[in-house]
Amino acid sequence: MDLSLLFAQALSGLSRGMMLFLIASGLSLIFGVMNILNFAHATLWLVGAYACYTFWFLLQTHDFAVWLAIPLAALSVGLVGWVIEVVLIRRVYDRELPEQLLLTYALVLILGDLIKITWGVDDKLIARPAMLSEPVYIAGVPIDSYFIFVIAVGFAVYLALWWFLQKTRYGHIVRAAVFSREMVSALGIPIPIIYTGVFVLGIFIAGLAGAIQGPVGSVTLGMDMAVVIQAFCVVIIGGFGSLPGTMVSSIIVGEVYAFSILFWPGGALALIFILTAIVLIVRPWGLFGTPLRA
Amino acid sequence: MRTKSLLCLAAVLAVCLTLVSGGMTQARAGEPYNLGAALAITGTGALYCQDGVDAIKLAVEEINAKGGFLGQHPIKLYIRDTHTKPDSAVRATRDLILRDKVRTVLGTYSSACAVAIKPVCLEYKVLHIPAISNSEGITLTNFSPYTYQVVPNSYMQAKAVVLGVAALAKKKGWKTFATIASDYEWGRSTQQNTVALLKQLAPDLKLIKEFWPPLGETQFTSYITAIMAQKPDFVIGSIASKDNVAWMKQAKAYGFFKKIPYPGSLISVTELILQAKTLDRGLVGLCRAPFFAHMDVPMMANFVKAFKKKYNRYPSDWAVMEYDAVYGLKQGIEKAKSIDSAKVKDALKGATIDTTRGKLYFRDIDNQLSCSSYLGVVADDPQYPFPIYHDLVEVKGPDSWRPEKEIIAARAAEKKK
Amino acid sequence: MGKKKWTWAGAVFAALLLLPTVLGEFWVLVLTEILIMGLFAVSFNMIFGYMGQLSFGHAAYYGVGAYTTGLLMVKFGLPLGPSLLASMVMAGAVALVLGYFCIRLTGIYFAILTMAFGQLIFYIIFQWYSFTGGDNGLQGIKPPPMLEGAWSYYYFALLVVTAAVAVMWVISESPFGYTMRAIRDNIQRTRFVGLNTKKYMLINFVVAAMFAGLAGGLWGPFNRSISPDLCNWHQSGVPVFMTIIGGPAGFVGPLIGSVIYTFLMAFVTGFTEYWPLTIGIIITMVVLFLPGGVWGLVERYGAALPAREGPPDDPEGGTP
Repeated sequence: MDLSLLFAQALSGLSRGMMLFLIASGLSLIFGVMNILNFAHATLWLVGAYACYTFWFLLQTHDFAVWLAIPLAALSVGLVGWVIEVVLIRRVYDRELPEQLLLTYALVLILGDLIKITWGVDDKLIARPAMLSEPVYIAGVPIDSYFIFVIAVGFAVYLALWWFLQKTRYGHIVRAAVFSREMVSALGIPIPIIYTGVFVLGIFIAGLAGAIQGPVGSVTLGMDMAVVIQAFCVVIIGGFGSLPGTMVSSIIVGEVYAFSILFWPGGALALIFILTAIVLIVRPWGLFGTPLRA
Repeated sequence: MRTKSLLCLAAVLAVCLTLVSGGMTQARAGEPYNLGAALAITGTGALYCQDGVDAIKLAVEEINAKGGFLGQHPIKLYIRDTHTKPDSAVRATRDLILRDKVRTVLGTYSSACAVAIKPVCLEYKVLHIPAISNSEGITLTNFSPYTYQVVPNSYMQAKAVVLGVAALAKKKGWKTFATIASDYEWGRSTQQNTVALLKQLAPDLKLIKEFWPPLGETQFTSYITAIMAQKPDFVIGSIASKDNVAWMKQAKAYGFFKKIPYPGSLISVTELILQAKTLDRGLVGLCRAPFFAHMDVPMMANFVKAFKKKYNRYPSDWAVMEYDAVYGLKQGIEKAKSIDSAKVKDALKGATIDTTRGKLYFRDIDNQLSCSSYLGVVADDPQYPFPIYHDLVEVKGPDSWRPEKEIIAARAAEKKK
Repeated sequence: MGKKKWTWAGAVFAALLLLPTVLGEFWVLVLTEILIMGLFAVSFNMIFGYMGQLSFGHAAYYGVGAYTTGLLMVKFGLPLGPSLLASMVMAGAVALVLGYFCIRLTGIYFAILTMAFGQLIFYIIFQWYSFTGGDNGLQGIKPPPMLEGAWSYYYFALLVVTAAVAVMWVISESPFGYTMRAIRDNIQRTRFVGLNTKKYMLINFVVAAMFAGLAGGLWGPFNRSISPDLCNWHQSGVPVFMTIIGGPAGFVGPLIGSVIYTFLMAFVTGFTEYWPLTIGIIITMVVLFLPGGVWGLVERYGAALPAREGPPDDPEGGTP
């Protein structure tokens, strides 16, 4: 096993991990603050990819098509998230966990069919921007230049979220809400508004991740199913509601995947499930989480 | 209470059995022919199946314009979604047979669905023509006389690839190769057949690594970098549908195809059309039923014209094969002079039929159509708005299918278990 | 009150006996599916309704049962009866190992750990080509000749499912069943009383898995083939749907759910491909406007029926 192979795998694992982080960070945020595990997160991610296709399709004569389509798609998905929060999620804040879970699971089914009705069954292909369609060489190892962009966006989202949570007043409120809703609400801060905001933010990031996924391969129905379980695993390993945890576990999962295909072809996913189960058994609140609100 | 209910049960059972054994149906003139299609309307495979459905509809329209089968049995089409899941496929098939009273079930995208509905069709004596899925297992073992296959099966396709690759390897002095195949039945059986056949034909070639991305993989980067680092002389891939699209697109972005030859992967007409702009020219691809290979057959020329007129696009392999399935059925019915499926299946045994791919016949031992596999070089063509295959090599069915001896041996081994 | 309940049960059983005589073959198959899925859902509710934990990997045991029966019948030529028993034993054994870890967690962690284990089992079955046939599944699972017809298999399933449901009913009404309710309502208090709650929960988990295994065992010969999809997380969602629609608080809730879900599916898929959309909307409506499911409705308006416990109490309470 030579060094350049290890380096190439590490790099591709990192890009995979960043893609997972973009999906899982919103999931983790929503669960951490609202205590709602959103099954439909990956489906909204898929909506983001489809929306990206639509905007790209409308703009495709321009060079900047993809660059504009990605933020537009993310914003539209954020809007969809807002509608979902107002119409559905808001009604089940006080409900039991199974009912909340089931509602978001129902959303997976509903959105899946709505996507099919809206965009049809055929694959959608988004052409990559010309500047990101050639490989780049780092120390002689090729990497898809698009994934450099993905890695950059991953870190940018991480930093932006970190700044928001640590340095802004709203961020402080949100973080306080993770530990005690009662206390925050006792301070006279309206919890519902915070909840709506967090949900929309989380879904916006999911939409952004989906839009970025769009040009990677093709956009197809059912893509969300392969992703949702992996995103859950990432959130569990990192710890619900922990931003650094999600980042670290995303990279771990990405790297485990990248290296396991060398040693155990076909066993990559099994390893991730085993890792998740071990974390749950040994440290249910995750590597970086706090056991406060189990 | 207990004896009473047991008695009751026995009585009920008796009544039921008499009721069931009563009904045998005889076809009347003018009676519609109910035709079922169990396809993947959603999920993986929807991409291919949409074309299949459209072609079936076209064939049905054409035949109905002439009064239907035998000129007197107008076809009524029933389409059910298998969700690409074997359980759903069985449910859909039973539903088609029992509620819609279909006499033939056309299908299916996934091979797992095909092998699951095969015994159900046999049980109800309904014809089964899987016109997209092509795992060899459909006709090799657990043989059903009601199942006819109009797709070159995974063995035939592998054989075709191997013939092509062995010739190329000799010419270019290739020594080592790697494989990448989707981790499910079709990917596995194709990969295994290819490797085994390649060993026979070109024993010097060395397999250095196998890669098995899961079905539904969206990000292939780790596979691409790993393969490139191994530096094989060439790579053989068995990845289908949307996974194939994602894989090709990402591999291209790594400059993969410029560095490592990738001969004989499945690039059907769907991919040629869909990736018209991005597909690397010069790739050696494999497909199952490209329309452009047979434009000299009047039936194909007419089909392409009609399909284009109705849907404003060119038919993919999947459309061609579903269309052939309907017309094969038609010829079986004409030969049997009956729409009774038991008689049609006997009429089709060993029958030669006209297809868009020319005159072909069903082999006696496994009801496999003697259809060809096609290899070629992806290249632009002034006639079409997408690349097609140039230097097309047509590997005929009888040159590529599994020898009968091996089939008999496989079935004997199955019995022993 | 007891009398009334028995009258009801008798009437339903009589209806189940007689109904197939007037139905076509298709609907008899649907009825069989209702029975098998009903058994699956009731076994799920032993964990959900009576222990207060949401298992999102219950299909794993259903799948283990299906594969045990399927493999024993196809590869080893064992008859159906012993194969079904083996299914229960096998599913129970797997649940004993995995449950040992699961019952240590509660709430969302329990749900996700059961799901992760479920996916792991799915993965093993999917990958183990030489033994399970991989994703192609296992074909040629034929019931014995006398049970091959749709009607005869229905009566066989009716017999087995009725017996199994009766056993679960007895368990739920036994001191053991009440201990489970006590654990659900307040685990700390139950522990303080001096009961080994973990042991009770593990036994309950194993018993529930055994009956899920039995349901899976019944499925293979009915469907003639099985595939790894039977253990996937989507399949784990089905008993959850059924239970929520039917109502988790009553013993018969999951059965009602199975009737509604399966009939609806057979009916809806007859004319539209949008079954997921349909069931998604129904689940949303039930969650939003019909908490407690159909059984909850019956309880609220059917004053004649005895009042039973409310919905499970805060299953996310307590620390892992």
